[in-house]
Amino acid sequence: MNMTTFSTIFSNPVFLNFIKGPMVWLSFIIFGLGLIVQTFRLLKLTQIKEARRVAPEEDLSPQTDLSGWERFTRYLAFRRVSVLGSNACLVLISVIFHVCLVVTPIFVMGHNVMLDTSFGINLISFPEQISDILTKFVIAGGLIFLMRRLFLRRVRMISTVNDFILLFVAVAPFLTGFLAYHHIFNYQVMIVLHILCGELMLILIPFSKFFHMVFFFISRFMIVSEHSMGTPKRSWQF
Amino acid sequence: MGTTTEINTDTIQSILKQNKKQIKLGLAMCAHCSLCAESCFLFVSHDNDPEYMPSYKFINSIGKLYKKKGKVSRQVLEDMRDLVFEKCALCTRCYCPFGIDIPALITLGRNVCRSQGLFREYDREW
Ligand code: HEM
Ligand code: SF4
Ligand code: SF4
Repeated sequence: MNMTTFSTIFSNPVFLNFIKGPMVWLSFIIFGLGLIVQTFRLLKLTQIKEARRVAPEEDLSPQTDLSGWERFTRYLAFRRVSVLGSNACLVLISVIFHVCLVVTPIFVMGHNVMLDTSFGINLISFPEQISDILTKFVIAGGLIFLMRRLFLRRVRMISTVNDFILLFVAVAPFLTGFLAYHHIFNYQVMIVLHILCGELMLILIPFSKFFHMVFFFISRFMIVSEHSMGTPKRSWQF
Repeated sequence: MGTTTEINTDTIQSILKQNKKQIKLGLAMCAHCSLCAESCFLFVSHDNDPEYMPSYKFINSIGKLYKKKGKVSRQVLEDMRDLVFEKCALCTRCYCPFGIDIPALITLGRNVCRSQGLFREYDREW
């Protein structure tokens, strides 16, 4: 099939109306309900537990009277155990990738114009040039992750086909959106692919490793562990 | 070397069944990102040999057993023993950004090995 055949299928009004209407609703419903159900299932694996005392009370309470030097050495010690110390560059890339991945779709002009015309909901949008840059960050981040997976032995050794597919699922909506916006290849085909990829990504988030967006916060903020953050009270109860 | 040469698949399967939720969650949530590598002193002290990477060790021990539903050969299990006993000291220093409890999963790998008479070989020459 060449681009023109794709184009005829993709410009079929019944098909177009379906993926632009009911399919969008369906995707968001599966995404939302999926997140709720999966989060509930995850929480059922945890239980509130009385904290076990591992040190005298005074050693556990946060120390506020640290000298600047002590703070500095503690920071260095923290850097040694955390991924911020061992993989600072990758963490930075990953944070940029994730922030752009989540923020761009919400503030992209094109999405908000549709929200406005359909429901009269008027959200703030980024200027188009900004969205364009954020999109490029996501694509670049995806490329770096792909290169790591292909060429770094330690990543390749634990990679599965699924990792490649899901990386593609995460980046595809941005790639197709970028190509459509710049009218590279066939606009009609690209915009339809963009819609389909976006819907696929939403549907897969609760049921794939993308569910880490919830797991991360539960496991780091709600489960007691050496590296937990905040004041968690739960532990795993498998 | 263990005393038996046979594998008792039933015992392995019952360990897998008992810990199914924990194994499944760990395997599903691991992003295969390799960020845990440097947190393992054995990884660092073995010239960054990926076989010492914490995620590699749990994926290829309890993870592999889970995927194969406990049906593995003696040879595979012996290699697994090397992974979970010789290549991990269970010091619990591994750090995963998601908070996956890697030592707990490696411990399960050890449980399975132990149930088949495979332990650390202290007198082994490397
Ligand atoms: C909003 C909360 C989220 C948090 C806190 C989060 C956190 C993380 C962390 C800690 C990693 C592992 C290490 C790394 O590669 O940096 C990771 C990897 C990844 N995340 Fe997220 N994530 C979130 C949401 C998402 C979403 C919504 C998606 C996509 C739909 C996504 C896609 C990915 C991908 C594809 C990887 C693996 C990159 C690779 O191939 O190495 N994340 N995430
Ligand atoms: S265990 Fe954690 S740090 Fe290690 S590869 Fe899996 S997700 Fe990454
Ligand atoms: S528990 Fe094992 S894998 Fe984890 S840091 Fe210690 S030796 Fe490495």
